[in-house]
Amino acid sequence: MDDTAFLKIQGLRKSYEYVDALRGVDLTLARGDFLCLFGPNGAGKTTLIKIVADLLKPTSGTVEITGGPDLDSDIRSRIGLISHQTLLYDELTARENLQFYSSIYQIPDPDDKIDSLLHTVGLYNRREERVSTFSRGMQQRLSIARALINDPVLLLLDEPYSGLDQFAATVLSNHLKKLHAQHRTIIMVTHNLTRGLETADRIGILSEGRLVYLKDRDEIDLPSFEDHYLMHMETN
Amino acid sequence: MKDDLTDRILVVLSSVLMLTAVYMIFFYAPTERVMGIVQKIFYFHLPLAFMAFLSYFVAFVSGVLYLVKKDIKWDIIGSASVEIGVVFTTLVLITGSLWARPIWNTWWTWDPRLTSSLILWLIYVAYIILRMSVEQAERRATFCAVMAIVGFIDVPIVFLSARLWRTIHPVVIKSKSIDMEPAMISVLAISMAAFLLFWITLIRIRSRVDFMELRIRNLEKIKRGGME
Amino acid sequence: MGATLVILRKDLLIEIRRKDSVISMIFFGILLLFVMNMAIGIGRKVDPELAAGILWISILFSSVLGLGRTFSLEKTNRCIDGLLVSPVAPSSVFVAKNLVNLSFMLISEAVIIPVFFALYGDNITVRLAPLLATVLLLNFGFSSVGTLFSGITAATSRNEVLLPLLLFPVITPLIAFTVKATGEIFAGVPFGEYSSWLRLMAAFGLIFSCAGYLLFDYVMKEN
Repeated sequence: MDDTAFLKIQGLRKSYEYVDALRGVDLTLARGDFLCLFGPNGAGKTTLIKIVADLLKPTSGTVEITGGPDLDSDIRSRIGLISHQTLLYDELTARENLQFYSSIYQIPDPDDKIDSLLHTVGLYNRREERVSTFSRGMQQRLSIARALINDPVLLLLDEPYSGLDQFAATVLSNHLKKLHAQHRTIIMVTHNLTRGLETADRIGILSEGRLVYLKDRDEIDLPSFEDHYLMHMETN
Repeated sequence: MKDDLTDRILVVLSSVLMLTAVYMIFFYAPTERVMGIVQKIFYFHLPLAFMAFLSYFVAFVSGVLYLVKKDIKWDIIGSASVEIGVVFTTLVLITGSLWARPIWNTWWTWDPRLTSSLILWLIYVAYIILRMSVEQAERRATFCAVMAIVGFIDVPIVFLSARLWRTIHPVVIKSKSIDMEPAMISVLAISMAAFLLFWITLIRIRSRVDFMELRIRNLEKIKRGGME
Repeated sequence: MGATLVILRKDLLIEIRRKDSVISMIFFGILLLFVMNMAIGIGRKVDPELAAGILWISILFSSVLGLGRTFSLEKTNRCIDGLLVSPVAPSSVFVAKNLVNLSFMLISEAVIIPVFFALYGDNITVRLAPLLATVLLLNFGFSSVGTLFSGITAATSRNEVLLPLLLFPVITPLIAFTVKATGEIFAGVPFGEYSSWLRLMAAFGLIFSCAGYLLFDYVMKEN
């Protein structure tokens, strides 16, 4: 794997009126890393994702996405975001939603791409139907297609498994594995230990706004990790 | 603690000056021939209007500074200014009304200048309502900054729209000459100074309450968070 | 510019499917015309300036209904995050939403104004060109301030209640200019005598569209 830093987070803090969501997070990811962050509710996971996505300004600290020599200029347009919210318009059809997002990203000749994405998430046959008629799992699958429309090099996932049926979750996991194989950098926060450990190659635990655990997947001894995880869940 | 001392000095100074102004208004300034004693309300009315306007200007500048620097200090100063501006504008409307009753024979008329003051009052009361409707501090600060800027941009437009109607409001201070006796002018000057000092004192005390609240919240956070 | 048109197209398409904004605007506007007819005494003849006031009250109050929806639409399913992560500039979103509001207003006015003439038209001179100019200038100013404020109120828990409270005090000068101009148009006064009101309306629109264009960035990021 490429050793140059792709994403560098330094001294990241975020204070709200009554709580500090992040209290100094340092993290460096190389290109192609797949980091999965676990942590109890209120640990600052969503805040971290939002700051990396530039949806939120940190109180202090920096997030640098260098990208690498081949894509540093337009890196901001190569971020994909999947959260438990779908970011889809209910009144538009599956295809119109993808068309809208591809126009926003100014993707040339998007039709083939949209069709192939619809095939991969298994919604091609329902492409002309409105999102409001879709089940939660279908919406979330479409949301995966939406996040991939700009061919992201950095993919941010905030609780993507919440509310997913088995099929959608498997589609997501398979897709993440495929993207990982293509050297995309991925950060995922989730409560789903099984899914997280199955796909990611780096595992971290965020607790009370700090990164308290960070190891490569290969170095982790599963039973001891689960103890560790439970310990942090309890202190909260 | 140093701030505390400055505040005390300011309170004492502005009280002394205000009492002097009140004394001079009633015992030194000549009574106006036509309007009589009622005219003396003008020495309160005009400085109040001036300080209200100053408040909105400060809120505008603080709004711009907040958006640029994202320092919550500017939000605190801006909101203190608006609150005091609204109180002063309310007093402007009340003193104007008290004056208008015997002179124009009505509590309220839709004279453009009165109307403008009322519109300004509405704009900044809306600011306060907005302030009460947003929970999160940064969001509230941003929105209030935007509102303070938009409101202030509106001020000259409101006044311009007023000038386009025929006005019955007395124009006391014209661009070149001042239509008053010298003794009246000096009383007005003292009254202005008194209100300016009073205004500064109010702004400082009001924003200090918010600064203290901010510090308390930070201390609470540290206490809850344990080690920091 | 590209992104602006894409968002505009998307919003219009959604409205064509939902129809709720424009229909509620038209219905409420006509409702207000009836209510005001009762308030002044049914069937009473009104002079041109009062008629202008009645027309604009119904249009302004009904337009607020649509205004609140155009931005809060992006908050459903957090679509706004999709826009914020993308390279689209918030100012393009401002222009797009402004145009959406302008179109909704125009469509509803196309129904409300004829109904108004049917109900109150007896003493009124109808001059289409200057009236259209007044309508467009009012829409421009109203929608510029309104789009900015709808971005603010969409992020609060009291969206629909708060919007008119913020909006109406700020646009009072615009309302005054508009009613003056319309009153004179209805009275059949020559163009030269009220053209200055139209210029003031244009200035109001320009000032606040610039302010909104610059400030919307900050507002949108807090949503």
